[in-house]
Amino acid sequence: MAETRPPAKGRISTPIALMPAVLQHEWDLYHATWFTLMGVGGGIFLLSRLMRLERGLGVWLGLPVVDLVSFAVIGVGGLILIWSLGRPLRFLRAVLKPSSSWISRGAIADFIFVVLGGALILPGLTLGTARPFAWLPWDAWASTTAGRVIEGVALAAAAIVIVYAGLVLADRAAVTFWRSWAIPAQFMLSSLAMSMATVMVLQTLHATPIRELECWWLAAFLVLLLAAIVWHLATRTTQPGKAEALARLYTTYHAVFWGVVLGAGTILPVLLAVVAVLAPPARDVLGVMSLMLTLAGGFLLRLLTLRVGYFPPVSGALRVPKR
Amino acid sequence: MRWGMVVDVRKCVGCQTCTIACHEENALPPGIFWRHVVDVEVGEYPEVRRAFLPMGCQHCAEPPCVPVCPTGASQQRADGIVFVQYDMCIGCGYCAVACPYRARHMIHDQDWYFMAPTPSEKKARDPERHGVMSKCTFCKHRVDKAPAGATPGVDPEYTPVCVSSCIANAMHFGDLDDPNSNVSRLREEHQPGVLLEELDLKPSLFYITE
Repeated sequence: MAETRPPAKGRISTPIALMPAVLQHEWDLYHATWFTLMGVGGGIFLLSRLMRLERGLGVWLGLPVVDLVSFAVIGVGGLILIWSLGRPLRFLRAVLKPSSSWISRGAIADFIFVVLGGALILPGLTLGTARPFAWLPWDAWASTTAGRVIEGVALAAAAIVIVYAGLVLADRAAVTFWRSWAIPAQFMLSSLAMSMATVMVLQTLHATPIRELECWWLAAFLVLLLAAIVWHLATRTTQPGKAEALARLYTTYHAVFWGVVLGAGTILPVLLAVVAVLAPPARDVLGVMSLMLTLAGGFLLRLLTLRVGYFPPVSGALRVPKR
Repeated sequence: MRWGMVVDVRKCVGCQTCTIACHEENALPPGIFWRHVVDVEVGEYPEVRRAFLPMGCQHCAEPPCVPVCPTGASQQRADGIVFVQYDMCIGCGYCAVACPYRARHMIHDQDWYFMAPTPSEKKARDPERHGVMSKCTFCKHRVDKAPAGATPGVDPEYTPVCVSSCIANAMHFGDLDDPNSNVSRLREEHQPGVLLEELDLKPSLFYITE
């Protein structure tokens, strides 16, 4: 039988931080870079295909240039992702747990996107006068049923590619600042804005007029991004871990956050997009400016999100002697 | 069977013997500590108390680090021990950012102290541990070799080294599912608490604080 102990003397303290909030150091520059590149790569394919712009953005070796740009960006992002791993040569194992891990789901989406996107445009490949894959029952423009099916699956995979980085952070991480739907929303909207600006620059490079529609979409993505950022900054501000993250954002990174992420990277491109609607001759220049600004803002948004990632304090209550 | 620990915070003197014993037993590289002791001050003068809490992986029954692992390298045994299968880990770091107790440590660099491994480092270090995630294993290599008749938590040789090395008998290891085990008796007697109870991760480390 357990010995009965006398009641302890003293009072219970209010919960105190046994371990204070600390910054995570696992994910930083490489991760911000591949988050950005995956978002832009997937977004370029998604937007150009949904808006049916791929024919007007040039062809190289019979292949749509916009799709090639998308795959190249995704490829570079994928290489950086692999490089960021502690054991890069084991990267194929990242697909083994799609039932519970967003990294697995994202890696699978990356593979599906690149394979099906590549397969979709393959029939257009022209080497000299030869078209070695012309026998395939679809074409690069998805004008047949088979092509539309492949394109549809590739588009779905691209959609996952642009959103999964945010879901990796928001789904199960212990970092309070990341545990919000606002993070995947921000990453997705930022990706779409950067991609829209990229498509506008490709239009300029191929002497295809930028339409009013593209300008409005760019403005819409950025306004929604601004709303998601502001909502995230304004809610649950005293939550352990998030309070420390906000404090770091407003002090250590205040110039980069307010100046580049919000000012130059989000608000200014909205204004540029509106000006572009009103002044069609200036759209080419404004598109290039928007791309540079949204890329800088989007990358730094991701980098700062990682760099203000605090684990919340580990708190507990202890008995204090009563005198 | 579910292995667990009960830490009597009233007895811990903060000597860090458990920290060093763990470091030695597992040949951990510089800067990596699976077990460490937190030093806290509570209250305001004159009602002040200084306390020491041995911390590390809590071997949660609902470990958030396991489902996020994209390869299945982060695993939980039937007896509750959470560990990393090094040869399956790709070193993505997701489990480290998923653990609210910050109990996972990536081994990025040289994994010994000097120009070459010392004899004790040679004995215990695992080359597979480089570039992957590492964490407290509840010294499963000691627990698992307990022969019939020996009891981890009672027989020091088959007990996690942090527990068997504790100079103040502040740490106890045993089967939480066995009502007659040392840890079950301590839990019944003292009703110890867990850290971050609000997360409902059902940790296997319990702290007696009063």
